Amino acid sequence: MKEIIVVAEHRRGELRDVTWEMLSRGRELSEGLGGELSVALLGKDVKNLAEALKPKANRVLLIEDNRLEFYNSETYEKVLTQLITERKPMLTMIGHTATGMDFAPSLAAHLKIPLATDCIGIDAKDETFALTRQIYGGKINAAVSFLKKGPQYMVTLRAGAFPVIEKEPLSGEIVSVPSLLTDEGLARRFLEYMEAAAGEVDITQADILIAIGRGIKDAENIPLVKELADSMGGVLACSRPVVDKKWLPKGCQVGTSGKTVKPKIYVAIGISGAFQHVAGMKGAGTIIAINKDPKAPIFGVAQYGIVADLFKIVPVIKEKIKQLKKS
Amino acid sequence: MDFELTQEQKDIQKAAREFIQGEYDKEKILEWELTHTFPKEVWKKACKLGFIGIHFPEEYGGQGYGITENILVVEEFCRKDSGVGIAVTLADFSSEVILRFGTQEQKKKYLIPVTRGEFISGGAYTEPDHGSDITLMATTAIKQGDSFVINGTKTFITNGTLADFFIVLCQTDPHAKPPYRGQCTIIVEKGAKGLEATEITAKMGIRMTSTAELSFSDVRVPLTNLLGEENKGFYQVLEFFDESRVEIAAQALGIAQGAFDRALDYARQREQFGKKLVDFQITQHKLADMATKIETARLLTYKAAWNYDQKRIDPKLTSMAKMFAGKVAVEVADEAIQIFGGYGYITEYEVERFYRDAKITEIYEGTKEIQKNTIASALIGKLK
Amino acid sequence: MNIIVCIKRVPDTADADIFIDKSGKDIEKSGLAFDLNEWDSYAIEEAIQLKEKLGGTVTVLSAGGEDSNESLRKCLAMGADDAFRLTDPAFAGADGFATARILAEAIRKRPFDLILTGTQAEDDGYGQVGVVMAEMLGVPHVSIVNRIEVQEKKIKAHRELEGGLEEVVEVDLPALLTIQTGINEPRYVSIMGIRKVAKKEIKAFGASDLNLKPEEVGLSGSDIQLDKVFLPLVGEGAEMLEGKPEEIAQKVFDILRDKGGVA
Repeated sequence: MKEIIVVAEHRRGELRDVTWEMLSRGRELSEGLGGELSVALLGKDVKNLAEALKPKANRVLLIEDNRLEFYNSETYEKVLTQLITERKPMLTMIGHTATGMDFAPSLAAHLKIPLATDCIGIDAKDETFALTRQIYGGKINAAVSFLKKGPQYMVTLRAGAFPVIEKEPLSGEIVSVPSLLTDEGLARRFLEYMEAAAGEVDITQADILIAIGRGIKDAENIPLVKELADSMGGVLACSRPVVDKKWLPKGCQVGTSGKTVKPKIYVAIGISGAFQHVAGMKGAGTIIAINKDPKAPIFGVAQYGIVADLFKIVPVIKEKIKQLKKS
Repeated sequence: MDFELTQEQKDIQKAAREFIQGEYDKEKILEWELTHTFPKEVWKKACKLGFIGIHFPEEYGGQGYGITENILVVEEFCRKDSGVGIAVTLADFSSEVILRFGTQEQKKKYLIPVTRGEFISGGAYTEPDHGSDITLMATTAIKQGDSFVINGTKTFITNGTLADFFIVLCQTDPHAKPPYRGQCTIIVEKGAKGLEATEITAKMGIRMTSTAELSFSDVRVPLTNLLGEENKGFYQVLEFFDESRVEIAAQALGIAQGAFDRALDYARQREQFGKKLVDFQITQHKLADMATKIETARLLTYKAAWNYDQKRIDPKLTSMAKMFAGKVAVEVADEAIQIFGGYGYITEYEVERFYRDAKITEIYEGTKEIQKNTIASALIGKLK
Repeated sequence: MNIIVCIKRVPDTADADIFIDKSGKDIEKSGLAFDLNEWDSYAIEEAIQLKEKLGGTVTVLSAGGEDSNESLRKCLAMGADDAFRLTDPAFAGADGFATARILAEAIRKRPFDLILTGTQAEDDGYGQVGVVMAEMLGVPHVSIVNRIEVQEKKIKAHRELEGGLEEVVEVDLPALLTIQTGINEPRYVSIMGIRKVAKKEIKAFGASDLNLKPEEVGLSGSDIQLDKVFLPLVGEGAEMLEGKPEEIAQKVFDILRDKGGVA
C-alpha cells in the first residue's frame, strides 16, 4: 500500500493552515496513486486535534507524550524517524514553515530520504514526484525531479501555495503510536514563546489585509489606514521599509524576508511593489493597489489599481464603506 | 597594457557602492536639497570607514592609496547621488595642498581630523574679480611681526560656511614680476578674528554643498601658517589642480553614469504607443551614445588618475579628463531628462538634479575653456 | 568562541530584469551584479559581533568558484580572521543536500564552538543547508534565529515563528544556528578592512582534500535536480479605477463586497 504521511503542524492548541493545505493536496495525490493518506500528529493532549483531522485523512497517527508538549526538532526527529522507518511511507509531507524548515532537513538527512524543500507544486509521476519550486525569490519557477529513486521521498510545501479543496469527508481512524521518547537529556530545550509585540495578529491567517509601504511617510499617518482596516474587518500589514523604520512590528511584514500571505483581499497602499514584497502577497485572491505613481510595479500584480494620493483617497473610501455598510 | 582594476581596487569600488547605496534615502536627500543641508551623517560615516582621505598616507590618518582609488570612491558616490556625492567627497577639498606642501606638524594638525570626520577643509582661491585667472590676487597677506595680516574677499568658496580651515591664496608681494611669483598659500582657521563667511544661497545645483563668500578684514595668522615655500603659492595651486581636476572628472563621470542608470531603468519600464521605450530605435541610439560617451570619459579619467599615481604630472591629460567628463556629464544628464520626458523635469525623478549638479563640473576648478588653454599650451609648447 | 560561518555569493536579481539562458535550466547571469547572500551577511555580522564581545576566531567558508573569493574577502574585510573555499568541477549541480555534505566535511576536522549559516539563499532558496550540516556533524541546531544570548557552554536563541511569535530555546555548544535577516545591522566594509585582507590568501580545497568520492558530490550526490526553469504566470496588470474620489470609493466598495471584503 502506498502511504502518504502529512506531518500535522500545530501551535498553542491550534492546527495551522498549512496542515489543511497539505492534507488537501495529499488526498489528491494518494487518490491518484491508489494509496492512503495518513496524518501524523505529535503532541501532548491533542486528541481534540486528532478528532478534527479525522475527516481529512484515512488515518490519524497520534503520538502523544508529555515531552511533545512543545515542538522540539530533537524529539520530532526521534519520533518521526521511528514512525517513518516502521511505516515506510512513499511520501512524507511537511510544511515549509518555521517549524518544518527546522526539522525536515535533518530528518531527511538522518533517514537518507531525498528531500525537496519549499515546493509550490507536486505531482505524482512514474513512481516518483515532479515538483515545482521557486528560485530567485519567486522570479523564476523551476521544474524539479528527484534524482535518487525512492522508494521514499520527503517534501516541504510552501504555506499558502496549495488551495484547500473541500471534498467528501473521510472517516479516518485514530491510531495511537507509542513515542518511545525517554527522559534522556536533550541538547536543545524549549524555554518559552514570546510575543514580539502585544496585540499583534498572525497576518498569514487573516482574510483581509491592508498593507502600507513607504508611501505612508510617517508613523503618525498609520491610524488613517488602521481605521480603513477596521471598517473592513481587516488586519494591518506592511512592506519592509515600514518595519525598518520601526513603525510596525516585524510580524506585520509581508515579503521575502517577512511573511507569505494569501488573504482573500489584499489592499496595497503606498507600496511600490518591489519584487521582494510581491513575492509575499501575489497569491492573494484579489489585490487592490493604491499608489500615486502610475508606473509603480504594484499595478502589474494588482487586479485593481487606483492612481491617487493615499492621504486623499483613503479617508473617502473609509467613509464610503462605513456609510454603505450601515445602509 | 592592462585595463583591469586590481582586485583591491574592485573591492574598494564595491565597498563604496554598497556604502552609498545603504545610505541612500531619496526622501531625505530631496529634503536636504530643498533646505541646502550638508549630509553630515553620511560624511561622518564615510570618514569612519576610511573613504575620505583614502589617498592620504597612513601617518596622516589616510589609507595610503593613490588618487585612482580616491576617484573610484568619488565616482561611486556621485553615481548614486550627485548632490550627496559631491558634498561628501569635497569635504576634504584642497587638503591635498597641505599634504603636498605642508610641514609634518601642519599635516598632523589638519589632515588627521579631516580623515576622522572632525574637520572640513576649504580652498580659497577665486576672487570676485579673479575667477579662472589667479595670476594676480587682490587678497593680500602682509607680514607684521610674527603674523600675516590678510585682507580681501574670496568668492564661490566650497565649504565656505562649513570648513574648519581654509587654504587661502594671497598676494604676499604685490610688486613681484610677474605677480604670480609673489603669492603664498596660508592656512586660516575658522573663527579667526576678521574672517566672515556668507552663504550664497541661491544657486543652480550642488545645493547640499556650501558655497560662500569669505571676507578677510585684518585677519591675523601666525607666520607658521604659511604652506611650503614663500612665493610658491601659485605653483602649488596649479599643481594641486593637476590632482583635483581628476577628482572633478570623476564627479562628472559618476553623475553621467548615475543619470544614465536612471534613464536606462526608466526606458525599460516606461511604455508609450504600446511599446517599451527601449524598443524604440531612437531610445536605443540615445542610450548607445550616452554609454559610449561615459566609457570614453571613464577611460580618460582613469588614465589621468593612473598617470598621476605613476608620479607623473601631465596637466594636458588631467585637463582633457576634466573638460571631457564635465561635458559628458552635462550632455548625458540632459539626454536622460529627455528620455524621462515630462517626468524628467520633475524633481522627484532626480535626473533634473543630476543635470543641475553636472553643470558645475564644467565650471569649478577651471572652466572648460581654461582646460582647453592648458591642453592647447601643452600641444603648442607654450610655457605656462 | 571559535565560530565558522558558511556563506554564498549570489546574483542580485531583486531589481534586475532576468532572462532564461540557453540551457533552459538557469537564468542568464552575465550582466547581473553579485553579492553576499543577504541572510549570510547577517550571519557573518553576528559572528563578528560575538567575536568582538567574547574573543576567539571567525572562519568563513564557501562552496563555489573563484568568484566566491569576492564574498569571502568581504567577510574578511568585515572582520573575519580566516577564509577558505571549496571548489571542484565535481561539485557542479549540487543541491542543498550535496552542498551541506561538502561544507560539513570541510568543517569536520576543525575545532568549533558555533557554526552560523544564513537561513536560506536568495537564489535557490532551499533553506536546508544549515540544518542538514548540523545533522551530518552530529551537533544540535536552531534555525531562523533572530536573537542570540551566549551563556555558559550554551546559547539562548530566539527563533522567528510566524505572525510575530518567537520561540525561545537553549542549545548546548557546539551547535549550529541558521540566522534570520534583521538580527543585527550588517556593517559596511571599510577601507581599513580591505587593506587588511588585500594580501590574505584564500585557500581552495577540492573533493579529494575532503575525502569525498565523486558520487558523493555535485549532481551525483544530490537528492534533486532541476529539469527546467520557466517564468511564473504573471497577471494582466491592474484594471484602473478612475473618476472622482467618491466614484472610486464606490467602485472599491463594490469590489470588496463582491469578493467578501465587507460583510
